[in-house]
Amino acid sequence: MQLSLIPPLSPSVRKSATLIYHFAEREAKSRYKRSVLGWFWSFLNPLVTVAVYWFIFGAVYRAVPPDTANGNAENFGLYLFTGLIIWTLFTGLVDGSMEWLSSVSDLRKKIYFPTETALLGGAASNLLQTALEVAVLVVIMAALSNISWTLVFLPVAMAPALGFGLGLGFIASVLNARYRDVKYLVGILLNVAFFAVPIVYTPELLEREDVPEIVRILVEWNPVALFIEISRDATYFLQVPLWNRFLAALAWSAATFSIGWVFFRRRSMSISEEP
Amino acid sequence: MTVGAIRVEAVSKRFRLERNRPSSLKEAVLRVGRTRDTDEFWVLRDISLEIEAGSFFGLIGHNGSGKSTLLRLMAGIHRPTLGSVEAEGRLSALLELGTGFHPDLTGRENVYLNGAMLGITRRRMTAAMDDIIEFSGIGDFVDEPVKIYSSGMYVRLGFAVAVNVDPDILLIDEVMAVGDEEFQRRCSKHMDMLRGNGTTIVLVSHNTDLMMECHQLGWLDHGQLVEVGDPGDVVSAYLAKVDSTDNTLHTRN
Repeated sequence: MQLSLIPPLSPSVRKSATLIYHFAEREAKSRYKRSVLGWFWSFLNPLVTVAVYWFIFGAVYRAVPPDTANGNAENFGLYLFTGLIIWTLFTGLVDGSMEWLSSVSDLRKKIYFPTETALLGGAASNLLQTALEVAVLVVIMAALSNISWTLVFLPVAMAPALGFGLGLGFIASVLNARYRDVKYLVGILLNVAFFAVPIVYTPELLEREDVPEIVRILVEWNPVALFIEISRDATYFLQVPLWNRFLAALAWSAATFSIGWVFFRRRSMSISEEP
Repeated sequence: MTVGAIRVEAVSKRFRLERNRPSSLKEAVLRVGRTRDTDEFWVLRDISLEIEAGSFFGLIGHNGSGKSTLLRLMAGIHRPTLGSVEAEGRLSALLELGTGFHPDLTGRENVYLNGAMLGITRRRMTAAMDDIIEFSGIGDFVDEPVKIYSSGMYVRLGFAVAVNVDPDILLIDEVMAVGDEEFQRRCSKHMDMLRGNGTTIVLVSHNTDLMMECHQLGWLDHGQLVEVGDPGDVVSAYLAKVDSTDNTLHTRN
């Protein structure tokens, strides 16, 4: 018998890891299948997005973005992009989860495998896309020399967004396997939620007399807004995020992920019995 | 439990019939508060069964007797409503057509996917790939999406994967009948080899000749395990039951 100093990974963990990798690879490959430029689209897409917002909000609407740290990068397009990265990560996880689970549900009727690996693999491939968008942002910010060590807080914003998005994704995907209308309902809710998050506007906009207090609280303390504020501190304002914001973000994320995980684990075995 | 053994303990499985289940959110919401008139159907009732490691076990019974459901429970696809099922070791299953293949992926990609589901690394699957392609006899089709495969190709590739991943337990549900004579012979030769290596095989089939080769046979009737034992005894008891039903039908006419 062979002795090893490192305890071997339990077979189920290793099996899950292999599967997660497989699903991540499949998702990443299928994204730009049969396209000539392939992953180049992943760079082009966010670049064009910034350019368009830069033009629309900067040149056409002359929206006034908040001051950046060095006063060089004031541009509504960039301000918007910092928020959009987190928002896209979040909605991509919620929408994607339903897609990823239904794409393996037929398979799951014929062979046993832990279905959460399909969701985790999909999430990994989404994270890769987000990393590319972050790279675009960092390059632009570096070119405008609006960059600092506070960049280390960006992952601090992304991790809770990942946990929160996956937690909701776990729940939505299981419900969607039962009732196909969940997908459409979630689509509408996300469209509404987009405006509950300060992406296309600044939180200062709400500091007017005629805005009810409840709206302000809702916008300031909703989880996705928290993640976005932290990411903006890290990349736009270049300041250390408020610690209570950080704690609230972490709490939202941990709670949602745990609830989603438990729900998923309890219900995912019956996916093989859905028609 | 020894690797390769299967233990089924007091297992019952209930399915809900679909006709009364709400299929949209609207329906589900409208139904809140009303009594549930969901029809339930017990596919299996109180099954207890021990299959020893390395044995060749057969399941017979009429259509709808619950054989396939029992096999799916062993494969971990469904969870028993009551009781427990334990199967120790690497389990490979061939249940109905197209076992665990994703239609959009190529044969080769599906082989890797199947391997991943069994916890086998890509490297080891690559090593086994030539054998699998050879055994299945599908040739260049291995790089085409499996949705264009004929049912025979589907089964051949499925079988090739299932037997070439060095399983401790192999579950087979009626699939061999699909392949041609030559492939069937190759399959039974390979199954003999696996049996020689100590793989536990559980087989569902209507082919009584094949079933006679089992070490033990279980007979399921309307979800209940009527008899477990020597294949000769069980087959004759089963055939006697079939004959008597046949006779009743004849007298009625």
